[in-house]
Formats: sequence, structure tokens, C-alpha cells
Amino acid sequence: MLKVLIKKQLYEIFRGYFTNAKTGKARSKANTTVMFLLFAVVMVALLGGMFGALAVFLCGTLCKAGLDWLYFLLFSLLGAALGVFGSVFNTYSGLYLAKDNDLLLSMPIPVKTVMTARLAGVYLMGLMYSATVLVPAIGVYIFFFGVTVARAVGMLGLIVVVSLTDMFLSCLLGWGVAKISLRLKNKSFVTVAASITFIVLYYLVYFRAMNWLQDLVSNAEMYGEKIRTGARVLWKIGSIGAGDMAALAICLTVLVAALTVVWRLMAHSFMKIATASATTEKRKKTGAKQFKQHTVPQALLIKELGRFTASANYMLNCGLSLLLLPAFGIFLLVKGEYVLGVVVQVFGERSGSTCVLLTAVLCMLNSMADMAAPAVSLEGKSYWLLRSLPVSTWEILTAKLSLQLLLGGVPAVFCGICGAIVLPGTVVEKLFVVLIPLGCVALFACVDLAVGLKNANLNWTNELYPIKQNVSIAIALFGCWLYAIAVGGAYMWVGWNIGPVWYLLAVLALSAAGTAVLYRWLMNRGTVCYEKL
Amino acid sequence: MLKIEHLTKTYGEKKAVDDLSLQIAPGEICGFIGHNGAGKTTTLKSVAGILQFDAGEITVGGINIMQDPIACKREIAYIPDNPDLYDFMTGRKYLDFIADIFGVDMETRNARIAEYTGLFELTAALEQPISSYSHGMKQKLAVIAAWMHTPRLILMDEPFVGLDPKAAHLLKEMMHRICQEGGAIFFSTHVLEVAEKLCDKVAIIKSGKLIRYGTMDEVKGDDSLEEVFLELEDTKEC
Repeated sequence: MLKVLIKKQLYEIFRGYFTNAKTGKARSKANTTVMFLLFAVVMVALLGGMFGALAVFLCGTLCKAGLDWLYFLLFSLLGAALGVFGSVFNTYSGLYLAKDNDLLLSMPIPVKTVMTARLAGVYLMGLMYSATVLVPAIGVYIFFFGVTVARAVGMLGLIVVVSLTDMFLSCLLGWGVAKISLRLKNKSFVTVAASITFIVLYYLVYFRAMNWLQDLVSNAEMYGEKIRTGARVLWKIGSIGAGDMAALAICLTVLVAALTVVWRLMAHSFMKIATASATTEKRKKTGAKQFKQHTVPQALLIKELGRFTASANYMLNCGLSLLLLPAFGIFLLVKGEYVLGVVVQVFGERSGSTCVLLTAVLCMLNSMADMAAPAVSLEGKSYWLLRSLPVSTWEILTAKLSLQLLLGGVPAVFCGICGAIVLPGTVVEKLFVVLIPLGCVALFACVDLAVGLKNANLNWTNELYPIKQNVSIAIALFGCWLYAIAVGGAYMWVGWNIGPVWYLLAVLALSAAGTAVLYRWLMNRGTVCYEKL
Repeated sequence: MLKIEHLTKTYGEKKAVDDLSLQIAPGEICGFIGHNGAGKTTTLKSVAGILQFDAGEITVGGINIMQDPIACKREIAYIPDNPDLYDFMTGRKYLDFIADIFGVDMETRNARIAEYTGLFELTAALEQPISSYSHGMKQKLAVIAAWMHTPRLILMDEPFVGLDPKAAHLLKEMMHRICQEGGAIFFSTHVLEVAEKLCDKVAIIKSGKLIRYGTMDEVKGDDSLEEVFLELEDTKEC
């Protein structure tokens, strides 16, 4: 029974690798292999490479000083942080909000088996994240210092300990989020606020991490001694990687006990949380006075906006630019002169580079406004509804497009104006700081909707699949990154020869041309694509 | 009111609907019966403009669904077999959304919402999110939404499933009323007793082909509709 459920769980997570979302047909073995290889390249080459470089930096200094345990401790903490960051909200939505909860609970399957299967998915995600950090660190350590049997067991044990810690923390936090959300009004906004606080803290730590690390490396022995005497638990965790079997046994025992306690807590309330209806939403007095009549385009746009604001996952994964762009705009007003001054010092010989690099950064920040990408898939089983109403397919698509143009465009203009105020350039250059990000918003609204249409999948059991795991989201995000990098990179390479004004004019013209082509495609082929879903 | 001529729809190599033709006049209620997978939902979805079909012609009030789908859909209301509505909206917001799309003015929509939600005892739940509704409540909301713009043709796929007896009775009365006002109804059902009592016309579909169609008396003669249906199901006629 458990095996069947875990298999189903894994199939759901990796379904896109086995089945073509567009046609619903199974992929060929070769196609599936390529998909998995691409995934491996992203995880190993990009993330693993990043942590591998960090490991090379730390390994020599710490391990030569006999502080092998501190080296492993640092990577264990990084692995745990990445794992928890990556899976805490997955735990909440995967465990409690899965649409097939009712179906599974109606079957002769013990509740604990359903929970175990769902948590197996959580564990695998945590294991994947922690391995991404720990495997490069272990590889680097073995490369420099070789391996003994005790160390090999210790290193493998450390991966298990870190992944179990991830699971413990994810379960505890996921359960906490679920318990709180049961009592909350305006759940989506509170979840978004909490998540953003979490993300801000994460990045504050992330940006200061390099300074902390350098300080740690310079004073490794002092910090090592402090941890060894003041935080023995951390010392013991680090020692596992260096081959301390006793520490491994103690840590595993403590973790198993802690997981048992969390498991009992979750099992006790699982049914209540998983089957709770949404009646905690704000209750208003019944009455018609707050309602207004809207035109068809307005009604469709309001519907799209309602879909966006009703889901914390949707807002967090596809709308972070709404906060990042205004925040960056304010940052520019406060610290802009200093930051742009540094840019001038670094890239001074390339005239106009400040203006171009600023527009590239604004375009990069726009990458996290991609609400049009999952908008079609999110129609899900209610796809029939709009199709049965007297609205044209183009009106339906326009509403989805407008949402991204509106929610991406307004913050982009605000941020662009802030940038233009602090930019020491001509009026035309200042104008481009506003226009280029706006052009980027328009282009990527069309790109996102087009890829969303081409990769639409209306059959999902958890909204996280269209929002997080659909290939259209990856294309939308990384496509915008590439665009921003190309805008900045091409100028630094050859574009500076023609100066910022002509270069940005060319960028704007190309973006406008791309937008026009895609807009036309959406009007013609895109509408047909939607009608054939 | 509704004219279907030689409708054909295939999924891959399978013909879901094969050369189906029928007509429903204003004031008529036509029941659509057939075994599971016979092609009822495909036909209804084709008429509603949700599915694109391969051959044939569908007109509603003289308007061709393929040539002018928007004008056609203005005359139609469709209730699917499984009311998957917008879970993120409240009942009231959903009804307002539908009313906005059909251009129903505020005075009329408020009056209709008050009347129908009162009749279906849904007023208290109107400000709750649809995600908290039971299947029956969603079905009631879908019925109210369908009646918001006084459509000329109502298409319903298994409309009585999930409704409590009082709501089912109410729906039957509403169906009669809209037909008395010149509208028409085309609905699928597996409850043959209901079809027999409610319908002026009946269409029986088997494996995508219409095998009986006419007034209730023409189709069933002196037998019950159930007897006729079971007899047709047992024969190889199709």
C-alpha cells in the first residue's frame, strides 16, 4: 500500500519528466533521459558547482588547521537551511492542500499511510537540497584529504542526519503554518507576508554570509574553540563528517525521537486540517451595496486578479517583483548615488554603462513577475466555464495578459522613475531607464502567456504543479534573466561603441518588435491553442 | 430554437458523436438519454461552444455557433455534469462575474440573486468562498448563475445530481417556467422517470448515434421510457 502511494507521489512530482503535458502522451525513454539529464545539469553544475567552489575556499584553511568538523558543520548548516527554505511551504501545501486528500481518505488506507507517503516526498526534496550542498563539499574533502572507512560512513551519515533535520524542521514549520492558517482570515496575504519576511531574512543572511565566512576563516581556531565549548551539539554534528561514530549514533537517536514527536503531533491533527473547509475566510454581511457592474474586460481582469490574490503560492512564485521593484526603487532613492558611483568607478571606461546596467538590473527584477505563465493551466477543471460564456477567446487571453502588464508595469515604472531621478545622465538616458523595463514587461507578458499556452496542463491535483513545476515557469524566469544579462552584457562587450542612447534605442526597438510578433501570435495561433485545450 | 444537423465529433479514431441531427422548438424540454460514454456530454459541450466539432452545423435561434459563437452563447446557459466553479470566489462574486459577462444591470441582478438564492436557501452561504460549498450547493449556484440572464436555451448535463429533493423540485418548476416564457431546454439524464414526466421530446443516443428521437409519445408509445431504453440498449441497432 505504502509503496503504491509513494510511487504515485513520486510520479506526481516528476510527472513532467515522463508525460508530455501538452499532449498527455508518455515521453519516449530517450526524451525522459534528456529531461532528467537537464535537471541533473541544473542541480549539479549550477548549484553543486557554486557550493563546490565554496568548499574549495574553506576546505584548505579549515581542515589544515585540524578543524575538519567545523568544515562539515558549516556545510551541514547550509544544507539544512537550503532544504528547509526549499520545502517548508511544499510541506504545507503538499500534505494538507492536495486535491486528492478526500479521495485517499475515502479509501481503505490508514491515515498514517497517506501521511507517510506524502512525507516521503518531503524527505526526498530535503535530501535533494541537502545533497546539493553536501555532496560537493564531501567530494572536495576527499579530493584533498582522501577517505577512510570511518570517514566514508561519517560522511554518508552526515547526509542522512542533515536530510532528517530538514524533514524535522519542514514538518514542524509546515504543521505550524497549517495550524495558524486554520485560524487566519485573509490567509493568502498573511502567508505571503510571512514568506516575504522569511525570504528577506534569508537574503540578509545570504548577503552577509561572505563577510562572516571570511571572518570565520581568519579566526577559525577562536570560533572553533567557542563552538566546541559553548555549543557542543553543533560540534558533535560537525564531527560526524570527520568520522565520529558516537556522534552519528547520538544525532540519529535524537533525530528519530524528535521526528516521532512531530509525527505524533501531525498525525493527531492531520484529518482536522486536511479536511477543513475554507469557512475561516472573512465573513461579510450579505448585501449588494459593495458590488458594481463591470464591463466584460473589467470582469475578466477582476477574475484574474481574484485568482492571483487568492493563492499565496501564486503570489509568491509569480509576483515577487511587485515588492522587489518598489523596494529597489526606494533603495535607489536612498543609496542610489553611492551604488551608481561604484558602478562608474568599476566600469568607468565604458561610457554610459551606468545607465545600461541599471536598466538591465530593473529588467532582471521584472523576471519575478510572471503571472501569465501559469494562468492558463490554473483554469484547471473550470476551463469549461469561460468557454461556455459569451466572451471571445482573445478577451480571455487579454485579461491574463493585462494582469501581468498591470502588476508588472506599475512597479517597473515606479522603479524606473526612481532610477531616473538618481541617474547622473541626460534626459534621454533617464527616459530609457523607464522605457526599457516597461518594454521588458510587455515583451515578457507575451512570452509568458505564449509559453503558458504551449505548455498548458489543465489536469493537476495541486496548484503547485502549474505554479512551480511547469516548464513554462522556468522559461519565463530564466528567459527574463537571459534578456537582462544580454542587455547588460552586449553593451559591455560591443554596444558601448555606439553609446547608451543608440544602444538602448536598438534594445527598445528589438523588444517592441518581439512583443509585436508574439502579440500577433497570441491573437491568431494562441487563441486556437486555447480553444483546443 | 436549437437545430443540430449531422454533428460529428471524433477523439482520435473514436467517433464520440456520429452524424447526429435534432431540433428543439421554443417552449420544449428535450431529454437526452444514453449509456455512459454514449456521447451526451460531447454533444452538449459542442452546442455550448466549448468543444470544436469535426462536421455538421449547430444553430441557436438561427445563429450558427461556429460562425458567431459569442452571439450564440449570449442566448445559452450551460450547466456541466460536475460544477467546477471558481473556488477562489465567493458565491456572490461568482454570480456578479456571470452577470457582468452577460451585461445584466445591477437592479435586475440584485433582484434575481435575492429571489433565486432565497428559493434555493443559499442566501446565508453567498458570502462564503465556493471552496467551502458542498457538491449540492455548487450545483445550486450553477443553476442560479444559468438563470441570471434569462437565456433562451438552457443546456444541462445531469442537472439533478447532488440536488436535494426540494431543490430538484424547484429546478423542475423553473424549467417549466422558462419554457412557458418561450425558452427551450436540452438536458441529459439517467433518471428516466424524471425524463418521462418532464420532457416534451426525448433523444436516445447509443455509441454516438441518435437511435430514437421524437416527442415522448412517439418514442415510448404505450411502454415506459425505461422499457424502451433497455430494449434499445439490448439490440444491436445503432
